[in-house]
Amino acid sequence: MRFKIRRFDGERSYWQEFDVPVKRGMTVLEALYYIKENLDPTLSFRASCRMGVCGSCAVRINGKPRLACETQVSKLKEPVKIEPLKNFNVIRDLVTDFEGFFKKHEIVKPYLIRKSEGEIRQTPEQLKRYYIYTLCIKCGACMSACPVAKNCLGPMPVVSAYRFNEDSRDEGKEERLKILSDHIWHCHFVAECSEVCPKDLNPAEVIQKLRLEVLKFSMRW
Amino acid sequence: MSFHNVFAVLMKFDVVIVGAGLAGMRAAIAIAEKNSRVSIAIIAKTYPIRCHSVCAEGGTAAVLDENDSFDLHAWDTIKGSDFLADQDAVEFFVRECPKEILTLDAWGCPWSRTPDGRIAQRPFGGHSFNRTVFAMDRTGFHEVHTLYERMLMFPNIERFNEFFLTNLIVEDNTVKGVTAIDLKTGELVLFEAKAVILATGGAGRIYGFTTYSHTVTGDGMAVAYRCGVPLKDMEFFQFHPTGLVPSGILMTEACRGEGGYLLNKNGERFMKKYAPERMELAPRDVVARAMWREIIEGRGLEGDYGPYIALDLTHLGEEKIEERLPLIRETAMKFAGIDPVEEPIPVKPVAHYTMGGIHTNVNCETPIKGLFACGEVACISIHGANRLGSNSTAECLVFGRVAGERALEYVLKRDFKSVSRKEFEREESRIFDELLGRSGDESPYAIKRELNETMDKNLWIFREEKGMKEAVKKIRELKERYKNVEIVDKHRGFNTDLIQTLEIGYMLDLAEVVAICALLRKESRGAHYRLDYPKRDDENWLKHSLAYKTADGVKVDYLPVTITKWKPTERRY
Amino acid sequence: MPSLNTIAFYLHRITGVILAIYLCMHLGFLTTVKTGEYSSLIKVTLSRQFLPFDLMLFLIGIYHGVNGIRLIIHEFGFLYRHRKILLYLTFIITAVLWVVVAWEVVM
Ligand SMILES: Cc1cc2nc3c(=O)[nH]c(=O)nc-3n(C[C@H](O)[C@H](O)[C@H](O)COP(=O)(O)OP(=O)(O)OC[C@H]3O[C@@H](n4cnc5c(N)ncnc54)[C@H](O)[C@@H]3O)c2cc1C
Ligand code: FES
Repeated sequence: MRFKIRRFDGERSYWQEFDVPVKRGMTVLEALYYIKENLDPTLSFRASCRMGVCGSCAVRINGKPRLACETQVSKLKEPVKIEPLKNFNVIRDLVTDFEGFFKKHEIVKPYLIRKSEGEIRQTPEQLKRYYIYTLCIKCGACMSACPVAKNCLGPMPVVSAYRFNEDSRDEGKEERLKILSDHIWHCHFVAECSEVCPKDLNPAEVIQKLRLEVLKFSMRW
Repeated sequence: MSFHNVFAVLMKFDVVIVGAGLAGMRAAIAIAEKNSRVSIAIIAKTYPIRCHSVCAEGGTAAVLDENDSFDLHAWDTIKGSDFLADQDAVEFFVRECPKEILTLDAWGCPWSRTPDGRIAQRPFGGHSFNRTVFAMDRTGFHEVHTLYERMLMFPNIERFNEFFLTNLIVEDNTVKGVTAIDLKTGELVLFEAKAVILATGGAGRIYGFTTYSHTVTGDGMAVAYRCGVPLKDMEFFQFHPTGLVPSGILMTEACRGEGGYLLNKNGERFMKKYAPERMELAPRDVVARAMWREIIEGRGLEGDYGPYIALDLTHLGEEKIEERLPLIRETAMKFAGIDPVEEPIPVKPVAHYTMGGIHTNVNCETPIKGLFACGEVACISIHGANRLGSNSTAECLVFGRVAGERALEYVLKRDFKSVSRKEFEREESRIFDELLGRSGDESPYAIKRELNETMDKNLWIFREEKGMKEAVKKIRELKERYKNVEIVDKHRGFNTDLIQTLEIGYMLDLAEVVAICALLRKESRGAHYRLDYPKRDDENWLKHSLAYKTADGVKVDYLPVTITKWKPTERRY
Repeated sequence: MPSLNTIAFYLHRITGVILAIYLCMHLGFLTTVKTGEYSSLIKVTLSRQFLPFDLMLFLIGIYHGVNGIRLIIHEFGFLYRHRKILLYLTFIITAVLWVVVAWEVVM
């Protein structure tokens, strides 16, 4: 199967083609490793867990941001075009710069803020209210798909903020809403983030829900 | 090619932690919580939330229920270890586990709950009480994220993401700092430190069929070993019974904890022959060996990728599978195209955990002053010859904290020792001139492939003298060939070719230690099973092996096991 | 090929910009009432040849309006689960409204 990969060596950017013998059940990540180990050792990409939980391997496959390790080669159209994520600066080949991404994450105070002490109880219902939003693996797919993320917070930090706001153990909701009130209005509801999220977290919905909360919160002031 | 004109980047921190997995991050937080003036650097070759710990699925053991007891947890652990664990360490460990669980709760870990809001616990292999705390079947993932998020609260922890450890700087048996490559720029950076904590995880990728992430290459172990720190009990490598065929992705023990069956080709629950009481929930080594026996003796099912065993969950029903094991279902569907609700999952035993590691005492101190180790990279030893499921994330948390606290005590009494420019330049030239600048005719990846094949063949679940001798010979040959590798990629920025070649060099050293220690241990204990010595031999072998690097190869010494109240007995489940 | 979500987003922006430019022109146009050139200009814009521009303007205005309502609905946190249907509806309603209006004007 033919792969077209977007290369960048620090100065020059170009397409390169590779032919990879495909086996049943092969993922795009395995194909990338095949290329690196057999055809061109200079190909750079990130990967770690190869089971869709670490978030290292997001790239654009045929235009859509996806996890390379979770994408079956057999389900793709030939030639398979692989490019680095959009809205990130490319360091090398498929490797993009995530420093800014994690800095944005920090802005929303993504940790449990809690002054009370003593035993904590949380019922399964309370857990369910926020649980799915804890599943964000911070792969950057949503940021790549969003047409406005480059100049604003983007979807990922908002999901994190929502996850803590909805946690019954948390006492920092107001702080976070205050921070979000500066950022949350940039969204244009393109909802592309929800389309590409590999964990189906629906960031677009979360943003809209939080807008209403930020609004309610600001009105009280 | 010479890079000496590159200005040496120098950083100075009281404590440098290498590895941002569960253990490393727990250590960082432990220090920062106690003292906000100590400067801490946490450096890792991946972003913290991309570490291997996110893969841990099943859970973390801790005594929380009043009907459970510390002694029972300790006994399970020691019996599981086939009596090679140091019992003083185990006793300390089990008492600390519950605190860590509650701490993580207060930091936001989304533990699964009982209907009245308490932390839920489930059964796990080798534990005689339901004491495994879990967060769905993504326990490690949630623990890592909780720690990472917590870490953001402390301004004195500075994170160096994507920095690759290359060496420790040691003088007069005291650590002075570390050198690391900044992947983004490709420059070598010197970190001067009063204390260094190694938390770089296991060495699983020396095997080919393994549950480990691609990044688990034992770098910390190899670096310490090269600096003269002994590696303890390296022959003990755990094999998990259930790796998904063909990728090796783990099907957690929770599948069996929740009631899954293991079936051979006759549809028989064969575990009743091997462990009539515990059945599928016997310790990992017992189950893995039973499965391998079934396969060798021709009772495995036949598939495209060779013989396998069926892990049957179909009788649990869709609802229970969806509620308790959603990740397992997703994984089986994505990576093997099989829906566990409808058909059994193809599995076979898989390399899963490095019991051995850097020799440390209960305080996580290594023989080198100022050098600490915790997590999977260390061997304290609470796992002995065989780790119990859900004890290792607990270990990372407990001993991560201990390492942090001890390192803090240590640095408060010390001053920096300066590192001479020469030492730094020597390291720089070793990597960039000797390795990157060299031309040769070997591909590092071919060497890795052959190493994996050898390990999978000769140091697998059943071992014997002949195979292991062959392995030692092969590994030595590969080490010779490694001297002639060529790194094709000559760029500095994000050179993964260079990094992987360095990793392969580390793995060769570790594989040699594993093979030699295994060859020397003439008994079967825990995960180390020899066909030619199938019995445990307490008289001669109730002792830890310590492997040192010397000028003429690996030298192995032995160290007695600490026994407090539990005398070795036969292990039966 | 970008998805419909993205197309809707870009169209909204483009139509917005065009409407803003139109608004400026319109205001400029109105100031000519004072200077007296208004009557000659109005003749041009009321001419038959100018009709296609008017029709385009309707299309742009209608799309921007309808899509704007869709966005407002979502931004209050409603009907997220039905976002696909709403998206299709936006295009359908725009088309229908435009055809009706154009019919009225042309006939
Ligand atoms: C699939 C799977 C499932 C598991 N499930 C369970 C379970 O249910 N319960 C349980 O108790 N245990 C489980 N374990 C075991 C447990 O996950 C590990 O033992 C534990 O996560 C190890 O954590 P760590 O912090 O020591 O190392 P890791 O999480 O491996 O972290 C190592 C860190 O070191 C860094 N590093 C490595 N080399 C270098 C270098 N050269 N330079 C710089 N940085 C470096 C890495 O980037 C990483 O940040 C499981 C293991 C596997 C493979
Ligand atoms: S490699 Fe971890 S998510 Fe793909």
